[in-house]
Amino acid sequence: MNEMLPAYAAGSLRGADRDRVRAHLEGCARCRADLAAWRALADAATPGGTAPDAAATVRAVLTRSAVEGPAGPPGDGAWTRRLRYAAALVVAEVRLIRLAVPVASALMMALGVAVVVVQAAAVAPPAAGADVVLALVAPIVAAAGVAGTYRSARDPVAELLAATPTAGPLLLLVRLALVFGYDLVLAVAASVALSATAAGGAAGLDALIAAWLGPMALLSSVSLLVAVRFGPDVALGAAIGLWAVRVLAGGVFADDNWPARLIVDAWSTNAAVLAVSAAFGIAAVVMAGRLGPHGGEPQGGWRATHPT
Amino acid sequence: MARPESGSDEALLRAVAAGDAGALTRLYERHAGALFGYLYRLAGDRMIAEEILQDTLLAVWRSAAAFEGRSKVTTWLFGVARRQAHNRLRGRSGPEPVGAPLADRPDRGAGPDELAIAAAGGTPVAAAIERLSDHHRDVIALVLVAGLPLADVAEVLTIPVGTVKSRLHHARAAVAAALTAQEVPE
Repeated sequence: MNEMLPAYAAGSLRGADRDRVRAHLEGCARCRADLAAWRALADAATPGGTAPDAAATVRAVLTRSAVEGPAGPPGDGAWTRRLRYAAALVVAEVRLIRLAVPVASALMMALGVAVVVVQAAAVAPPAAGADVVLALVAPIVAAAGVAGTYRSARDPVAELLAATPTAGPLLLLVRLALVFGYDLVLAVAASVALSATAAGGAAGLDALIAAWLGPMALLSSVSLLVAVRFGPDVALGAAIGLWAVRVLAGGVFADDNWPARLIVDAWSTNAAVLAVSAAFGIAAVVMAGRLGPHGGEPQGGWRATHPT
Repeated sequence: MARPESGSDEALLRAVAAGDAGALTRLYERHAGALFGYLYRLAGDRMIAEEILQDTLLAVWRSAAAFEGRSKVTTWLFGVARRQAHNRLRGRSGPEPVGAPLADRPDRGAGPDELAIAAAGGTPVAAAIERLSDHHRDVIALVLVAGLPLADVAEVLTIPVGTVKSRLHHARAAVAAALTAQEVPE
């Protein structure tokens, strides 16, 4: 009986229970005192004043709903919403990449593979290995693609992008992931194809990948950094120049003098090279956020909107 | 799920899910007193309570379709309100930590007590309720202010009914102890 008193005092007890409590209270002074205490507590706990007006409150809620943007489909958590947003961003960026870029990259890579295959067929076994050819082709393909990820002034969508609420560095990051990821997939596919057809000679798949992964990361990150600071054309030139020095150091110059060895070592796959590449990449994205109000256009250059 | 009776809470919530703002108004009107009383008691401040009320109705407006009819609309509604209150009140300097018996505290003199009394609506009992631990105040607010049946309170708080009862009694004992310490008759 005792434990029904709070609900009785609050008026939430219904039906038979309520009648039983009422009947019991008639003859029990202790429970009446207890009930009085619950009632006093309920009265003190109940704040004064009436609830806000329904129409005004709902109006305010609907306004907030409109202003704070549409909700995701019901049951969405913050994470699913974020994932959905990221996916939409990727799809949107895919549509903005000029078809020529992936096609040219694929053709370059295919050419590299073809050279290896033809050479393996024509020349006796100690021919230039698949690793050498891949190591020459993959980095420059990726670096050229990455240089183009930085939105150039001539890009017709630059004006549109300048007006999006999404942060410039985020857009750059998405584009970068797309282009670099695509080139990575191409290079891996080429390596797999070569190691499978045995045209690559004795080199295994991991050795083939190690031949181009480090140089590709380093050249791409340098290319991106230059693109952010000086624009894509300069970046492409810089990438080609740097890579020419590497190719010359590896082949044309004497192999055993120390500058050539140093250059070749700097363009190989190891932890230090990958770490430096990552640092360059991060620096470039950070810099893209600092430069220019329009999603990181090169400083002092063309603006999406012209002051009148 | 059986088709909800027209005019029932379930039917209203269905209509809300379909984008009927009038249904949201009617649903709110039906629970306004209990819902706002509950939030006011939790927040201890009318302005903040009104903000949480809006948060709650916004959440209802947006997630009405997620209601699966496994619980009563009332308990779902109070569950949403409780979560919104928690979101907004979290990080605010809270009351005494859980389980600290109020009677053991030294009398801090009239200054802060009087302030607390004034803030809590003018009565010493209200001030003592204000100082209860979160889960004690939650039970008091749901049972005595919102007037929810104990079974519903248990569902909102996802605790057994027995725990609701014991928390109620502990809360009352804590209030009584606080009043005794201040030598104010209950």
